[in-house]
This record gives sequence, structure tokens and C-alpha cells, in this order.
Amino acid sequence: MADQPPVAPQVAREVAATEADLISLARALIAPHPVEVRALIARSRAMPPVISPACAELLGDALAHVWPALWRRAGRSRGRFWQRHAPVGLTFSSATLALLRGLLSARGGAPAAPGRPPLTLGDQVMVYFALDATYGTLAGTRLAAEPMVRGAPLAWLGFAEMLGAPAGVELDGLCTGAGAIVVEVFGDELARRWQTVELRKRTIAAPGELIALGAAQDATLRGFMAACDRHARRDLAGFVIDAAAPLLQRGIPPMPVRLDPAATLGSRATARVAAGALLRAVMAWATWDQAHRGVRFIDDDYAAAQVLLARFEAIAAAGRARAEAWLTELASLAPTPVPAAVVQ
Amino acid sequence: MVRTVHVEDGVAAPLEMLPILAPERMAELLANELAALGFQRDGSTCRRTEPDGVEVTVDLERSIVAIKLGAAARLDEAVELSAQTAIESQGAMEARLRDAAIRELDDKLDVQIAALQQQITAQLEAKLADLQRELDAAVGRATIGALTEKAAQLGRIEETHLDDAGNLTIRVRL
Repeated sequence: MADQPPVAPQVAREVAATEADLISLARALIAPHPVEVRALIARSRAMPPVISPACAELLGDALAHVWPALWRRAGRSRGRFWQRHAPVGLTFSSATLALLRGLLSARGGAPAAPGRPPLTLGDQVMVYFALDATYGTLAGTRLAAEPMVRGAPLAWLGFAEMLGAPAGVELDGLCTGAGAIVVEVFGDELARRWQTVELRKRTIAAPGELIALGAAQDATLRGFMAACDRHARRDLAGFVIDAAAPLLQRGIPPMPVRLDPAATLGSRATARVAAGALLRAVMAWATWDQAHRGVRFIDDDYAAAQVLLARFEAIAAAGRARAEAWLTELASLAPTPVPAAVVQ
Repeated sequence: MVRTVHVEDGVAAPLEMLPILAPERMAELLANELAALGFQRDGSTCRRTEPDGVEVTVDLERSIVAIKLGAAARLDEAVELSAQTAIESQGAMEARLRDAAIRELDDKLDVQIAALQQQITAQLEAKLADLQRELDAAVGRATIGALTEKAAQLGRIEETHLDDAGNLTIRVRL
């Protein structure tokens, strides 16, 4: 007992009730505890214009847990991230505070201010957490419409279907440094999200909804895959393979079962083509795959090409042919009617 | 109120032309097949207008078919509104009634336009499957022509066999 260092006494810090909510919300988003998040944002309150130093300190403590939270979310399916990557490069700006305040005051998020600096990676992670926790709720819809959220590249990668018309967001920051680590961490989660949306396309009846969804997905996947290519990080787009492979194997095309028959033929045809966004990304991967096959043993990037070749094996030639056939079917004049349910 | 409206619906889709020969030659072969189906060639497009007004246009360079149907109609609608008012507010009431009448007429015309649009869409949709089959057959024949030409470039064609499933076998002596 005598050898143990003295324990510093815990000092209770007092904060206002609204500040306590702010800190609780940050902790609940990071944990994540979606039920608690929804309970906190369900009640609207007037937020004071500034926060106290004690609140700022406690908020900083909460945000310091974002990296461990990310490691937890990643799980161990792709190895121990915390051993491969140092927890660096995750900074937060006033945008995170604005996001939390916006959520608590039921505005959904922070208003865009002219000249506002681009979101830091930490801000983007918090936006991602917020969209995740409020997914499928009115608060989530309101949040997704906020200019600050629409300007977050990570939000587009995870929640393109919520963000509406493409905003031309630069996605290069997600392919380098800490941004690439975060995308790697979210890999499995992104695959699940994109797969769920792909399945939902089959139930969409309004052509306009499908056209908007396809445009957002196309812009996001094209932009992200181009950025991956520029930064020699094609592996980061692996979630496209993970999302599409099971659907291709089981023969579940993104063909809407019944588009509104009252809509014009032109809009229905455009909607069907738009539904193929993920398949087009698979075809882009197939083009990469062809290039990887041409990398020789003596070439510098042979090892990387081999890894990527193994990655695409989940789809392979059969999946590629099926994706191509589905795209042709989606674009055809008279598509074959889709069965409402697919029996495996 | 009488209003002349034009409603239109259309759809475009790619034709699955295999790149067997040079694109210009492939386009030429397809144009020949389309001519046999009654299409008129105009530069790089082939066009046919069906008796019911459906217009089918094939862009030979881009291998895209566009099908369109439009219709113009003269819609005639009338509404009658009346209200009792004091003489001093007659002007204001007349303006209100006029606005209400315009709104009601617009609504009625919108219903008629939507019905016309759906009629056009249904008419076009009914033709799509047949058109798809017809164009697929034309593309198939153009592809066979291209394969035959390609085979002739490789050597002397000894035998050509097309089975019921549409599989073509060409025996060539080099």
C-alpha cells in the first residue's frame, strides 16, 4: 500500500443544466447510446451563447474518447487498428460545439456561416455519429438538411441517401492521414449501410426519390473512388465490394419492384438507371481489377496489387458479369418484372 | 377557358452492339437492318414514325434508341360561380370570384392534362416490349453480319450454322 502513488482527489465541477446536456449528448454520441441521444434531442431548450470553462474542459474530456470509440466500432474483423495506427490527427473545431448546440436546441445542427473554415476530421466524425444516432428520425432528416452536415465528406460517404442533391464535396481528405484511418475503421459499417440502402431501392415507388438517391450515390462513389485512385488508396473503397458481393451472389438486383405506374415512362426509366449507382461502382472496381492483373512481379506496386486482387475475389468475374447484366436490364426499354421476394 | 396543351413521354435505352468491326461498319450494318424494318436514315440517325404517332429514333453512333410519343389537345373547361353581395363591394367580390374561377379552371385542366399524360404513357408502354424484341432482332442480325464479315477476313468460310437458340457457328478455313 505504501508504494502506491497518491490518488489526486476528484474535484466536482459545476456546470449549468444546458451544459450538462451538451456534455451528455457528446458522451452519448461517442459511446454510442442512440436512445439517450434521441431522448436528449427530443426536448428543445434555449442554449446560452457561450459555455463555461468547466463545460469546455468536460467536453474536451468526452471528445478525447472518440478514437477509442472508433476502435470499438471497428471491432476486430480487420485486425487491431489501435496497434496499426496511432490515434493522431483528430481535431475538433467550434463546428462540433455548434453541432451539439444545434441538436439540443432542435434546430438539427449548425447554420452555415460565410467564411466558416472547412470541418476538421473530428467534426466530421461527430457529424457521422449524430447522423447515425438519429437515422430514420425527423431530427435526422432535419440534421441532414443542414449546410454544415452537407459539407462533411464523411457524412456523404456514410449517409449519401439522406443528404439530397450532390454538393460537390471534396473527398480527398478521407484518403490520406487520419481521414484514411477513419474510413478504414468505418469500412464494415459503410458496407452494411450501402447494402441496406441497396435493398431499400427495391421498395421505392416514387421515381423522383430513386433519381435523387441515385444521383447522390453516383456523385459520392465516383468522387470517392477517384480520390482513392489519386492517393493510391483503392483499398479504402473496399466497402463497395463488401456491400455488393452478397447481393450479387444471392441474385438480388436493385431493381424497384413497382414504380408508380402513374409516373411518366421517362421518369421511371431514369429512376431505374439511377438505381444502378453501386453496380457502376462495382464496374469501376472491375476496371481496377483488370489493371491489377497487369501488374508484374518486378513492379513496385506488385504487393499492393495482389492484395487488391484478393479483395475483388469476393465479386470476381461471375459477379462482374452479373453486375453488368443488371445494369443492362436496368437501362433496357422493357425491363423484366422483378419478383417481389427472392427466395434463397 | 380554352387551352392548347402538348404532352409528351419518352424513353431512351442503349442497344447492345458488340464491337466486332469498326464502329462505322457496325453502324452501317445496323442501319441496313433498320432500313429493312422501315426506318429512314438521316446521317447518323435512323427514324421511323409508327401509324399511332410513336417516333422511334436510333442514334447509330452512340447505339441508343429513343422512343417518343407526343400529343396535342385543345382543352375546353368552364365554371360558373355566383355570389350575392352589396353593391358597394361588388368590385372586390367580382375579383375574388374571378380568382376562384381561375384556380378551379386550372385544377380541372390539370386533371385533364394528367389524364392525357397517362393515356400517352400507357400507349407508349404497351409498345415497348414489341419494340424491344424488334430492335433486339435487328441488332442480332447486324451482329451476325459483322461476325460473318470478320470470319471472311480471317479465311474462307466453309459453313455457317445458326441454331434455334440464336447461336451462330462459322467454320473458317485459314
